[in-house]
Amino acid sequence: MLTEAYMQRALAAALLLGPVCALLGVFVTARRLSFFSDTIAHGALAGVAIGIWIGLTNLTIPMILFSLCVAAAMIWLKENTELLTDSIMALLLSGSVALGILILSLVRSNRGELHSYLFGDLLAIEWQDVIIAAVLAAIVAFGLFRWLTPITLMTVNEDLATVNCVNVRRLNYGFVLLLTVTVALSIRLLGIVLVTSLLVIPPAIARPLSVNLRHQLILSVLAGFLGCFGGTVLSWQLNVPCGATIVLTCITLFIIALIFSKLRPRLIHPSP
Amino acid sequence: MKFFDPLPRLKPAEECSCGHQHAPRVGDASQAMPVVEVIQGEVAFNGTPILRGVNLRIPRGEIVALIGPNGSGKTTLLRSILGLQRLDAGEVRLFGSSDLPSVMSRVGYVPQKLSLDRSFPLSVREFLALRLKKTRSWFWQTPRTIEDAIRPTLVEMGVEPLLDKPIARLSGGQLQRVLIAFSLLQEPDLLLLDEPTAGVDSPGEQSFYEMIGRVHQLHQLTVVLVSHDLSMVYRHASWVYALNGVICCEGTPEQVMNADSLKQAYGIHVAPYHHHHHAH
Repeated sequence: MLTEAYMQRALAAALLLGPVCALLGVFVTARRLSFFSDTIAHGALAGVAIGIWIGLTNLTIPMILFSLCVAAAMIWLKENTELLTDSIMALLLSGSVALGILILSLVRSNRGELHSYLFGDLLAIEWQDVIIAAVLAAIVAFGLFRWLTPITLMTVNEDLATVNCVNVRRLNYGFVLLLTVTVALSIRLLGIVLVTSLLVIPPAIARPLSVNLRHQLILSVLAGFLGCFGGTVLSWQLNVPCGATIVLTCITLFIIALIFSKLRPRLIHPSP
Repeated sequence: MKFFDPLPRLKPAEECSCGHQHAPRVGDASQAMPVVEVIQGEVAFNGTPILRGVNLRIPRGEIVALIGPNGSGKTTLLRSILGLQRLDAGEVRLFGSSDLPSVMSRVGYVPQKLSLDRSFPLSVREFLALRLKKTRSWFWQTPRTIEDAIRPTLVEMGVEPLLDKPIARLSGGQLQRVLIAFSLLQEPDLLLLDEPTAGVDSPGEQSFYEMIGRVHQLHQLTVVLVSHDLSMVYRHASWVYALNGVICCEGTPEQVMNADSLKQAYGIHVAPYHHHHHAH
Protein backbone atom coordinates (compact mmCIF):
# COMPACT_ATOMS: atom_id res chain seq x y z
CA MET A 1 0.00 0.00 0.00
CA LEU A 2 2.73 2.46 1.00
CA THR A 3 4.70 1.81 -2.20
CA GLU A 4 2.13 3.94 -4.02
CA ALA A 5 3.22 7.59 -3.96
CA TYR A 6 -0.36 8.89 -3.89
CA MET A 7 -1.08 6.68 -0.88
CA GLN A 8 1.98 8.04 0.95
CA ARG A 9 0.74 11.56 0.33
CA ALA A 10 -2.82 10.72 1.38
CA LEU A 11 -1.75 8.99 4.59
CA ALA A 12 0.69 11.77 5.50
CA ALA A 13 -2.02 14.41 4.97
CA ALA A 14 -4.62 12.37 6.88
CA LEU A 15 -2.32 11.73 9.84
CA LEU A 16 -1.42 15.43 10.01
CA LEU A 17 -4.88 16.90 9.51
CA GLY A 18 -6.85 14.37 11.59
CA PRO A 19 -5.19 15.21 14.94
CA VAL A 20 -5.11 18.95 14.11
CA CYS A 21 -8.85 19.01 13.38
CA ALA A 22 -9.49 16.94 16.51
CA LEU A 23 -7.49 19.35 18.68
CA LEU A 24 -9.25 22.43 17.28
CA GLY A 25 -12.56 20.55 17.38
CA VAL A 26 -12.57 20.40 21.19
CA PHE A 27 -12.86 24.20 21.29
CA VAL A 28 -14.97 24.45 18.12
CA THR A 29 -17.68 22.27 19.68
CA ALA A 30 -17.42 23.89 23.12
CA ARG A 31 -17.77 27.34 21.51
CA ARG A 32 -20.60 26.12 19.25
CA LEU A 33 -18.69 26.95 16.07
CA SER A 34 -19.57 23.79 14.11
CA PHE A 35 -21.97 25.59 11.77
CA PHE A 36 -19.34 28.32 11.37
CA SER A 37 -16.88 25.65 10.15
CA ASP A 38 -19.51 24.24 7.81
CA THR A 39 -20.05 27.69 6.30
CA ILE A 40 -16.29 28.12 5.77
CA ALA A 41 -16.16 24.70 4.09
CA HIS A 42 -19.01 25.52 1.72
CA GLY A 43 -17.42 28.89 1.03
CA ALA A 44 -14.44 26.99 -0.35
CA LEU A 45 -16.58 25.79 -3.27
CA ALA A 46 -16.65 29.31 -4.68
CA GLY A 47 -12.85 29.44 -4.23
CA VAL A 48 -12.50 26.21 -6.20
CA ALA A 49 -14.76 27.56 -8.97
CA ILE A 50 -12.81 30.83 -9.19
CA GLY A 51 -9.53 28.86 -9.32
CA ILE A 52 -10.82 26.73 -12.20
CA TRP A 53 -12.18 29.83 -13.95
CA ILE A 54 -8.84 31.63 -13.91
CA GLY A 55 -7.04 28.43 -14.95
CA LEU A 56 -5.04 27.50 -11.82
CA THR A 57 -3.74 23.94 -11.58
CA ASN A 58 -3.51 23.77 -7.77
CA LEU A 59 -6.73 25.01 -6.24
CA THR A 60 -5.65 24.93 -2.59
CA ILE A 61 -4.63 28.59 -2.46
CA PRO A 62 -7.85 30.08 -3.98
CA MET A 63 -9.84 27.71 -1.76
CA ILE A 64 -8.07 28.97 1.39
CA LEU A 65 -8.31 32.61 0.27
CA PHE A 66 -12.04 32.45 -0.46
CA SER A 67 -12.71 30.63 2.83
CA LEU A 68 -10.84 33.42 4.62
CA CYS A 69 -13.04 35.98 2.80
CA VAL A 70 -16.15 34.13 3.98
CA ALA A 71 -14.83 34.01 7.58
CA ALA A 72 -13.99 37.75 7.47
CA ALA A 73 -17.47 38.52 6.06
CA MET A 74 -19.06 36.49 8.86
CA ILE A 75 -17.13 38.39 11.55
CA TRP A 76 -17.82 41.76 9.94
CA LEU A 77 -21.55 41.10 9.60
CA LYS A 78 -21.72 39.85 13.19
CA GLU A 79 -19.96 42.91 14.56
CA ASN A 80 -21.63 45.53 12.37
CA THR A 81 -25.21 44.36 11.87
CA GLU A 82 -27.99 43.11 14.08
CA LEU A 83 -28.48 39.93 12.05
CA LEU A 84 -28.66 36.68 13.97
CA THR A 85 -25.50 34.57 13.75
CA ASP A 86 -27.47 31.69 12.22
CA SER A 87 -28.90 33.99 9.54
CA ILE A 88 -25.43 35.33 8.68
CA MET A 89 -24.03 31.83 8.29
CA ALA A 90 -26.98 30.56 6.24
CA LEU A 91 -26.70 33.62 4.00
CA LEU A 92 -22.98 33.17 3.35
CA LEU A 93 -23.20 29.40 3.00
CA SER A 94 -25.93 29.47 0.39
CA GLY A 95 -24.39 32.55 -1.29
CA SER A 96 -20.97 30.99 -1.78
CA VAL A 97 -22.38 27.64 -2.93
CA ALA A 98 -24.60 29.47 -5.43
CA LEU A 99 -21.62 31.51 -6.67
CA GLY A 100 -19.54 28.32 -7.03
CA ILE A 101 -22.25 26.51 -8.99
CA LEU A 102 -22.81 29.50 -11.25
CA ILE A 103 -19.12 29.91 -12.11
CA LEU A 104 -18.67 26.16 -12.63
CA SER A 105 -21.65 26.04 -14.98
CA LEU A 106 -20.22 28.98 -16.97
CA VAL A 107 -16.72 27.49 -17.33
CA ARG A 108 -18.20 24.00 -17.97
CA SER A 109 -15.62 22.20 -15.81
CA ASN A 110 -15.66 18.42 -15.77
CA ARG A 111 -17.93 16.93 -13.10
CA GLY A 112 -15.19 14.65 -11.74
CA GLU A 113 -13.22 17.61 -10.46
CA LEU A 114 -16.25 19.05 -8.67
CA HIS A 115 -17.07 15.61 -7.28
CA SER A 116 -13.57 15.28 -5.77
CA TYR A 117 -13.98 18.59 -3.93
CA LEU A 118 -17.45 17.74 -2.69
CA PHE A 119 -16.63 14.26 -1.39
CA GLY A 120 -12.82 14.17 -1.02
CA ASP A 121 -10.28 12.38 -3.19
CA LEU A 122 -7.10 10.56 -2.16
CA LEU A 123 -5.60 10.92 -5.62
CA ALA A 124 -6.02 14.68 -5.57
CA ILE A 125 -3.61 15.24 -2.67
CA GLU A 126 -0.23 16.57 -3.78
CA TRP A 127 3.07 16.93 -1.93
CA GLN A 128 2.45 20.66 -1.80
CA ASP A 129 -0.75 19.97 0.20
CA VAL A 130 1.16 17.66 2.54
CA ILE A 131 3.82 20.32 3.17
CA ILE A 132 1.15 22.96 3.88
CA ALA A 133 -0.61 20.47 6.19
CA ALA A 134 2.65 19.80 8.07
CA VAL A 135 3.32 23.52 8.55
CA LEU A 136 -0.29 24.05 9.61
CA ALA A 137 -0.15 21.14 12.09
CA ALA A 138 2.98 22.63 13.67
CA ILE A 139 1.38 26.10 13.90
CA VAL A 140 -1.90 24.81 15.35
CA ALA A 141 -0.18 22.56 17.90
CA PHE A 142 2.20 25.34 18.95
CA GLY A 143 -0.52 28.01 18.99
CA LEU A 144 -3.04 25.94 20.93
CA PHE A 145 -0.59 24.84 23.61
CA ARG A 146 1.09 28.26 23.81
CA TRP A 147 -2.28 29.99 24.31
CA LEU A 148 -4.17 27.09 25.91
CA THR A 149 -4.95 29.05 29.08
CA PRO A 150 -6.36 32.16 27.33
CA ILE A 151 -8.29 30.04 24.80
CA THR A 152 -9.80 27.96 27.62
CA LEU A 153 -10.70 31.08 29.59
CA MET A 154 -12.27 32.62 26.48
CA THR A 155 -14.30 29.42 26.01
CA VAL A 156 -15.51 29.58 29.63
CA ASN A 157 -16.54 33.24 29.49
CA GLU A 158 -15.26 36.02 27.23
CA ASP A 159 -15.82 38.75 29.84
CA LEU A 160 -13.95 36.77 32.47
CA ALA A 161 -11.11 36.29 30.00
CA THR A 162 -10.98 40.03 29.24
CA VAL A 163 -10.80 40.89 32.95
CA ASN A 164 -7.94 38.38 33.18
CA CYS A 165 -5.98 40.44 30.64
CA VAL A 166 -6.76 38.25 27.61
CA ASN A 167 -7.13 40.17 24.34
CA VAL A 168 -10.28 38.27 23.40
CA ARG A 169 -10.77 39.99 20.07
CA ARG A 170 -7.25 39.26 18.81
CA LEU A 171 -7.37 35.70 20.11
CA ASN A 172 -10.74 35.14 18.41
CA TYR A 173 -9.32 36.34 15.08
CA GLY A 174 -6.30 34.05 15.48
CA PHE A 175 -8.53 31.09 16.30
CA VAL A 176 -10.82 31.75 13.31
CA LEU A 177 -7.80 32.13 11.01
CA LEU A 178 -6.34 28.76 12.05
CA LEU A 179 -9.77 27.12 11.87
CA THR A 180 -10.40 28.47 8.37
CA VAL A 181 -7.06 27.31 6.97
CA THR A 182 -7.44 23.89 8.63
CA VAL A 183 -10.96 23.39 7.25
CA ALA A 184 -9.97 24.53 3.74
CA LEU A 185 -6.98 22.17 3.69
CA SER A 186 -8.96 19.21 5.00
CA ILE A 187 -11.41 19.52 2.11
CA ARG A 188 -8.98 17.65 -0.20
CA LEU A 189 -9.23 14.70 2.15
CA LEU A 190 -12.87 14.69 3.25
CA GLY A 191 -14.66 16.92 0.81
CA ILE A 192 -16.76 20.01 1.43
CA VAL A 193 -19.79 18.01 2.53
CA LEU A 194 -18.05 15.99 5.24
CA VAL A 195 -15.13 18.09 6.44
CA THR A 196 -16.86 19.44 9.57
CA SER A 197 -17.24 15.90 10.88
CA LEU A 198 -13.48 15.74 11.49
CA LEU A 199 -13.85 18.70 13.87
CA VAL A 200 -16.94 17.37 15.62
CA ILE A 201 -16.64 13.56 15.88
CA PRO A 202 -13.20 13.10 17.55
CA PRO A 203 -14.11 15.39 20.51
CA ALA A 204 -17.42 13.53 20.73
CA ILE A 205 -15.53 10.21 20.87
CA ALA A 206 -13.29 11.58 23.63
CA ARG A 207 -16.04 13.20 25.68
CA PRO A 208 -17.68 10.15 27.32
CA LEU A 209 -14.24 8.77 28.19
CA SER A 210 -12.90 12.03 29.68
CA VAL A 211 -13.17 13.34 33.23
CA ASN A 212 -11.46 16.64 32.43
CA LEU A 213 -10.35 18.84 29.55
CA ARG A 214 -6.82 17.44 29.54
CA HIS A 215 -8.21 13.95 28.93
CA GLN A 216 -10.53 15.20 26.22
CA LEU A 217 -7.71 16.95 24.36
CA ILE A 218 -5.45 13.88 24.47
CA LEU A 219 -8.18 11.37 23.57
CA SER A 220 -9.58 13.60 20.85
CA VAL A 221 -6.18 13.80 19.12
CA LEU A 222 -5.86 10.02 19.44
CA ALA A 223 -9.36 9.52 17.98
CA GLY A 224 -8.58 11.89 15.09
CA PHE A 225 -5.38 9.97 14.38
CA LEU A 226 -7.04 6.53 14.52
CA GLY A 227 -10.11 7.63 12.54
CA CYS A 228 -8.02 9.13 9.74
CA PHE A 229 -5.54 6.26 9.62
CA GLY A 230 -8.24 3.56 9.65
CA GLY A 231 -10.44 5.45 7.22
CA THR A 232 -7.67 6.12 4.69
CA VAL A 233 -6.45 2.50 4.74
CA LEU A 234 -10.00 1.15 4.38
CA SER A 235 -10.72 3.59 1.59
CA TRP A 236 -7.70 2.29 -0.34
CA GLN A 237 -8.48 -1.36 0.32
CA LEU A 238 -12.18 -1.14 -0.52
CA ASN A 239 -11.65 1.40 -3.32
CA VAL A 240 -14.36 3.68 -1.91
CA PRO A 241 -14.41 7.48 -1.28
CA CYS A 242 -11.90 8.51 1.34
CA GLY A 243 -13.98 11.17 3.17
CA ALA A 244 -16.95 8.89 3.69
CA THR A 245 -14.75 6.05 4.96
CA ILE A 246 -12.94 8.32 7.45
CA VAL A 247 -16.26 9.64 8.77
CA LEU A 248 -17.76 6.16 9.14
CA THR A 249 -14.60 4.92 10.89
CA CYS A 250 -14.86 7.85 13.32
CA ILE A 251 -18.54 7.12 13.92
CA THR A 252 -17.68 3.46 14.64
CA LEU A 253 -15.10 4.65 17.19
CA PHE A 254 -17.75 6.94 18.69
CA ILE A 255 -20.20 4.04 19.12
CA ILE A 256 -17.46 1.92 20.75
CA ALA A 257 -16.57 4.81 23.11
CA LEU A 258 -20.21 5.33 23.98
CA ILE A 259 -20.81 1.64 24.74
CA PHE A 260 -17.59 1.48 26.78
CA SER A 261 -18.54 4.57 28.80
CA LYS A 262 -21.96 3.06 29.58
CA LEU A 263 -20.46 -0.30 30.55
CA ARG A 264 -17.50 1.12 32.49
CA PRO A 265 -19.31 1.65 35.81
CA ARG A 266 -20.53 -1.97 35.66
CA LEU A 267 -17.06 -3.23 34.81
CA ILE A 268 -15.48 -1.30 37.69
CA HIS A 269 -18.27 -2.05 40.20
CA PRO A 270 -19.94 -5.29 39.00
CA SER A 271 -23.32 -5.88 40.62
CA PRO A 272 -23.36 -8.98 42.88
CA MET B 1 -39.46 61.62 36.54
CA LYS B 2 -37.62 63.91 38.90
CA PHE B 3 -34.41 62.44 40.14
CA PHE B 4 -32.70 63.12 43.43
CA ASP B 5 -29.48 64.95 43.63
CA PRO B 6 -26.90 62.60 45.11
CA LEU B 7 -27.26 62.51 48.85
CA PRO B 8 -24.39 63.86 50.89
CA ARG B 9 -22.12 60.94 51.83
CA LEU B 10 -22.82 60.47 55.47
CA LYS B 11 -20.71 58.35 57.72
CA PRO B 12 -22.49 55.02 57.69
CA ALA B 13 -23.68 53.37 60.83
CA GLU B 14 -21.04 51.21 62.50
CA GLU B 15 -23.71 48.59 62.93
CA CYS B 16 -26.68 48.17 60.62
CA SER B 17 -30.16 47.38 61.76
CA CYS B 18 -29.58 43.65 61.36
CA GLY B 19 -26.82 43.82 63.94
CA HIS B 20 -24.19 43.04 61.31
CA GLN B 21 -20.86 44.78 61.70
CA HIS B 22 -19.71 46.38 58.47
CA ALA B 23 -16.17 47.29 57.64
CA PRO B 24 -15.48 50.84 58.76
CA ARG B 25 -15.36 53.42 56.00
CA VAL B 26 -11.83 54.48 55.25
CA GLY B 27 -12.08 58.24 55.46
CA ASP B 28 -14.56 60.40 53.67
CA ALA B 29 -15.02 59.70 49.98
CA SER B 30 -14.15 63.24 49.07
CA GLN B 31 -10.72 62.92 50.69
CA ALA B 32 -9.40 59.36 50.13
CA MET B 33 -8.61 58.16 46.62
CA PRO B 34 -11.61 56.09 45.56
CA VAL B 35 -11.06 52.52 44.37
CA VAL B 36 -13.74 52.98 41.72
CA GLU B 37 -14.69 56.29 40.20
CA VAL B 38 -17.13 56.93 37.37
CA ILE B 39 -17.32 60.51 36.15
CA GLN B 40 -20.31 61.57 34.06
CA GLY B 41 -20.58 58.09 32.52
CA GLU B 42 -22.91 57.81 29.53
CA VAL B 43 -23.85 54.75 27.50
CA ALA B 44 -26.51 54.38 24.81
CA PHE B 45 -27.52 51.31 22.82
CA ASN B 46 -28.88 52.09 19.35
CA GLY B 47 -29.69 55.63 20.38
CA THR B 48 -31.48 54.56 23.58
CA PRO B 49 -29.68 56.01 26.59
CA ILE B 50 -28.90 53.40 29.26
CA LEU B 51 -26.63 55.44 31.53
CA ARG B 52 -26.94 59.21 31.69
CA GLY B 53 -24.34 61.26 33.51
CA VAL B 54 -23.58 58.63 36.13
CA ASN B 55 -21.19 59.66 38.90
CA LEU B 56 -19.88 57.09 41.33
CA ARG B 57 -17.13 57.12 43.96
CA ILE B 58 -16.41 53.97 45.92
CA PRO B 59 -13.82 54.24 48.67
CA ARG B 60 -11.67 51.34 49.83
CA GLY B 61 -13.14 48.66 52.04
CA GLU B 62 -16.85 49.08 51.29
CA ILE B 63 -19.47 46.55 50.26
CA VAL B 64 -21.38 48.55 47.69
CA ALA B 65 -24.64 47.39 46.12
CA LEU B 66 -25.96 48.66 42.80
CA ILE B 67 -29.71 48.22 42.83
CA GLY B 68 -32.44 49.15 40.39
CA PRO B 69 -35.23 47.69 38.28
CA ASN B 70 -34.64 45.57 35.17
CA GLY B 71 -33.10 47.66 32.40
CA SER B 72 -31.91 50.35 34.81
CA GLY B 73 -28.30 49.98 33.65
CA LYS B 74 -26.85 48.13 36.67
CA THR B 75 -25.02 45.51 34.66
CA THR B 76 -24.00 48.09 32.03
CA LEU B 77 -22.47 50.20 34.79
CA LEU B 78 -20.63 47.17 36.21
CA ARG B 79 -19.36 46.26 32.74
CA SER B 80 -18.23 49.86 32.19
CA ILE B 81 -16.27 49.74 35.44
CA LEU B 82 -14.56 46.58 34.18
CA GLY B 83 -13.80 48.13 30.79
CA LEU B 84 -16.06 45.57 29.08
CA GLN B 85 -18.45 48.29 27.95
CA ARG B 86 -17.04 51.42 26.35
CA LEU B 87 -18.52 54.66 27.68
CA ASP B 88 -19.92 57.02 25.03
CA ALA B 89 -18.91 59.89 27.28
CA GLY B 90 -17.31 60.24 30.67
CA GLU B 91 -14.54 58.31 32.34
CA VAL B 92 -13.93 55.31 34.59
CA ARG B 93 -10.98 55.22 36.97
CA LEU B 94 -9.89 52.24 39.00
CA PHE B 95 -7.35 52.86 41.77
CA GLY B 96 -6.94 56.34 40.32
CA SER B 97 -5.97 55.09 36.86
CA SER B 98 -8.01 55.46 33.70
CA ASP B 99 -5.83 52.84 31.98
CA LEU B 100 -8.11 49.98 33.04
CA PRO B 101 -6.15 47.04 31.53
CA SER B 102 -3.09 48.07 33.56
CA VAL B 103 -4.95 47.64 36.88
CA MET B 104 -7.02 44.55 35.99
CA SER B 105 -4.60 42.30 37.90
CA ARG B 106 -6.02 43.92 41.07
CA VAL B 107 -9.60 43.15 40.10
CA GLY B 108 -11.68 40.00 40.59
CA TYR B 109 -14.89 39.53 38.62
CA VAL B 110 -17.73 37.09 39.21
CA PRO B 111 -20.04 36.96 36.17
CA GLN B 112 -23.69 36.10 36.62
CA LYS B 113 -23.33 32.82 34.72
CA LEU B 114 -21.05 31.01 32.32
CA SER B 115 -22.40 30.45 28.84
CA LEU B 116 -20.64 27.12 28.85
CA ASP B 117 -21.81 24.03 27.03
CA ARG B 118 -22.73 21.38 29.60
CA SER B 119 -20.60 18.84 27.77
CA PHE B 120 -17.38 20.88 28.21
CA PRO B 121 -15.39 18.76 30.68
CA LEU B 122 -13.14 21.48 32.17
CA SER B 123 -12.75 20.46 35.83
CA VAL B 124 -12.81 22.89 38.74
CA ARG B 125 -9.10 22.13 39.30
CA GLU B 126 -8.25 23.04 35.70
CA PHE B 127 -10.43 26.14 35.84
CA LEU B 128 -8.75 27.44 38.99
CA ALA B 129 -5.33 26.73 37.48
CA LEU B 130 -6.13 29.21 34.68
CA ARG B 131 -5.92 32.10 37.14
CA LEU B 132 -2.40 31.61 38.51
CA LYS B 133 0.85 32.26 36.71
CA LYS B 134 2.58 29.23 38.20
CA THR B 135 -0.20 26.90 37.05
CA ARG B 136 -0.72 28.43 33.60
CA SER B 137 0.93 25.37 32.05
CA TRP B 138 -1.69 23.20 33.80
CA PHE B 139 -1.89 20.80 30.87
CA TRP B 140 1.64 19.56 31.63
CA GLN B 141 1.36 19.66 35.43
CA THR B 142 0.23 16.90 37.78
CA PRO B 143 -3.10 17.33 39.62
CA ARG B 144 -1.14 17.41 42.91
CA THR B 145 1.07 20.33 41.74
CA ILE B 146 -2.02 22.35 40.82
CA GLU B 147 -3.76 21.47 44.07
CA ASP B 148 -0.75 22.52 46.14
CA ALA B 149 -0.67 25.91 44.42
CA ILE B 150 -4.35 26.65 45.06
CA ARG B 151 -4.85 24.87 48.40
CA PRO B 152 -5.26 27.90 50.77
CA THR B 153 -8.08 29.32 48.64
CA LEU B 154 -9.65 25.88 48.22
CA VAL B 155 -9.83 25.44 51.97
CA GLU B 156 -11.06 28.97 52.59
CA MET B 157 -13.89 28.67 50.07
CA GLY B 158 -14.71 25.05 50.88
CA VAL B 159 -14.42 23.96 47.25
CA GLU B 160 -11.99 21.08 47.82
CA PRO B 161 -14.68 18.40 47.30
CA LEU B 162 -15.55 19.96 43.93
CA LEU B 163 -12.03 19.85 42.47
CA ASP B 164 -12.63 17.03 40.00
CA LYS B 165 -16.17 18.03 39.02
CA PRO B 166 -16.78 19.59 35.60
CA ILE B 167 -17.41 23.30 36.07
CA ALA B 168 -20.34 23.18 33.63
CA ARG B 169 -22.21 20.79 35.93
CA LEU B 170 -22.01 22.75 39.19
CA SER B 171 -25.13 24.07 40.89
CA GLY B 172 -25.65 27.86 41.03
CA GLY B 173 -24.30 28.11 44.58
CA GLN B 174 -21.30 25.87 43.91
CA LEU B 175 -20.43 27.83 40.78
CA GLN B 176 -20.50 31.17 42.62
CA ARG B 177 -18.19 29.70 45.30
CA VAL B 178 -15.76 28.49 42.63
CA LEU B 179 -15.88 31.82 40.78
CA ILE B 180 -15.07 33.71 43.97
CA ALA B 181 -12.23 31.27 44.70
CA PHE B 182 -10.98 31.94 41.16
CA SER B 183 -10.96 35.68 41.83
CA LEU B 184 -9.30 35.37 45.23
CA LEU B 185 -6.40 33.32 43.88
CA GLN B 186 -4.76 36.50 42.62
CA GLU B 187 -5.42 38.43 45.87
CA PRO B 188 -7.49 41.20 44.27
CA ASP B 189 -8.21 44.53 45.96
CA LEU B 190 -11.57 44.91 44.27
CA LEU B 191 -14.22 42.25 43.72
CA LEU B 192 -17.14 42.88 41.36
CA LEU B 193 -20.12 40.54 41.27
CA ASP B 194 -22.96 40.64 38.74
CA GLU B 195 -26.26 39.39 40.23
CA PRO B 196 -24.34 36.76 42.18
CA THR B 197 -27.38 35.07 43.69
CA ALA B 198 -29.48 34.76 40.54
CA GLY B 199 -30.38 31.07 40.32
CA VAL B 200 -29.47 30.40 43.96
CA ASP B 201 -32.20 29.33 46.39
CA SER B 202 -33.07 31.41 49.45
CA PRO B 203 -30.95 29.59 52.09
CA GLY B 204 -28.10 29.49 49.58
CA GLU B 205 -28.47 33.22 49.07
CA GLN B 206 -28.20 33.88 52.80
CA SER B 207 -25.05 31.80 53.20
CA PHE B 208 -23.61 33.36 50.04
CA TYR B 209 -23.87 36.89 51.44
CA GLU B 210 -22.41 35.71 54.76
CA MET B 211 -19.49 34.27 52.81
CA ILE B 212 -19.03 37.57 50.96
CA GLY B 213 -18.93 39.30 54.36
CA ARG B 214 -16.22 36.91 55.59
CA VAL B 215 -14.17 37.25 52.41
CA HIS B 216 -14.53 41.02 52.56
CA GLN B 217 -13.21 41.19 56.11
CA LEU B 218 -10.45 38.63 55.72
CA HIS B 219 -9.02 40.02 52.47
CA GLN B 220 -9.74 43.71 53.17
CA LEU B 221 -11.55 43.88 49.85
CA THR B 222 -13.73 46.48 48.26
CA VAL B 223 -16.82 44.66 46.99
CA VAL B 224 -19.23 45.97 44.36
CA LEU B 225 -22.27 43.85 43.62
CA VAL B 226 -25.27 44.20 41.41
CA SER B 227 -28.34 42.93 43.18
CA HIS B 228 -32.09 42.82 42.84
CA ASP B 229 -32.65 41.44 46.33
CA LEU B 230 -33.37 44.47 48.49
CA SER B 231 -33.58 42.61 51.79
CA MET B 232 -30.12 41.08 51.32
CA VAL B 233 -28.70 44.44 50.27
CA TYR B 234 -30.29 45.98 53.35
CA ARG B 235 -28.54 43.52 55.61
CA HIS B 236 -25.14 43.14 54.03
CA ALA B 237 -24.16 46.24 52.02
CA SER B 238 -22.45 49.22 53.60
CA TRP B 239 -23.40 51.63 50.81
CA VAL B 240 -26.11 51.50 48.17
CA TYR B 241 -26.51 53.16 44.78
CA ALA B 242 -30.07 53.09 43.41
CA LEU B 243 -29.93 53.30 39.66
CA ASN B 244 -32.45 53.97 36.94
CA GLY B 245 -30.43 55.30 34.03
CA VAL B 246 -29.03 57.86 36.44
CA ILE B 247 -28.05 57.47 40.07
CA CYS B 248 -31.42 58.19 41.70
CA CYS B 249 -30.03 58.14 45.20
CA GLU B 250 -27.16 56.81 47.22
CA GLY B 251 -26.46 56.27 50.86
CA THR B 252 -26.42 53.69 53.60
CA PRO B 253 -29.01 50.93 53.20
CA GLU B 254 -31.15 52.64 55.87
CA GLN B 255 -31.11 55.90 53.91
CA VAL B 256 -31.80 54.39 50.51
CA MET B 257 -34.33 51.79 51.57
CA ASN B 258 -36.99 54.26 52.53
CA ALA B 259 -40.06 54.12 50.41
CA ASP B 260 -39.54 57.50 48.73
CA SER B 261 -36.03 56.68 47.53
CA LEU B 262 -37.05 53.33 46.18
CA LYS B 263 -40.09 54.81 44.51
CA GLN B 264 -37.74 57.15 42.66
CA ALA B 265 -35.63 54.23 41.50
CA TYR B 266 -38.32 51.66 40.77
CA GLY B 267 -41.21 53.97 39.88
CA ILE B 268 -43.60 51.97 42.06
CA HIS B 269 -44.13 51.54 45.76
CA VAL B 270 -41.72 48.96 47.10
CA ALA B 271 -40.27 48.33 50.48
CA PRO B 272 -37.51 46.04 51.58
CA TYR B 273 -38.64 42.76 53.04
CA HIS B 274 -37.15 42.23 56.48
CA HIS B 275 -36.26 38.71 57.45
CA HIS B 276 -37.08 37.99 61.06
CA HIS B 277 -34.65 35.15 61.50
CA HIS B 278 -30.99 36.16 61.62
CA ALA B 279 -28.55 33.36 61.08
CA HIS B 280 -25.54 35.35 62.24
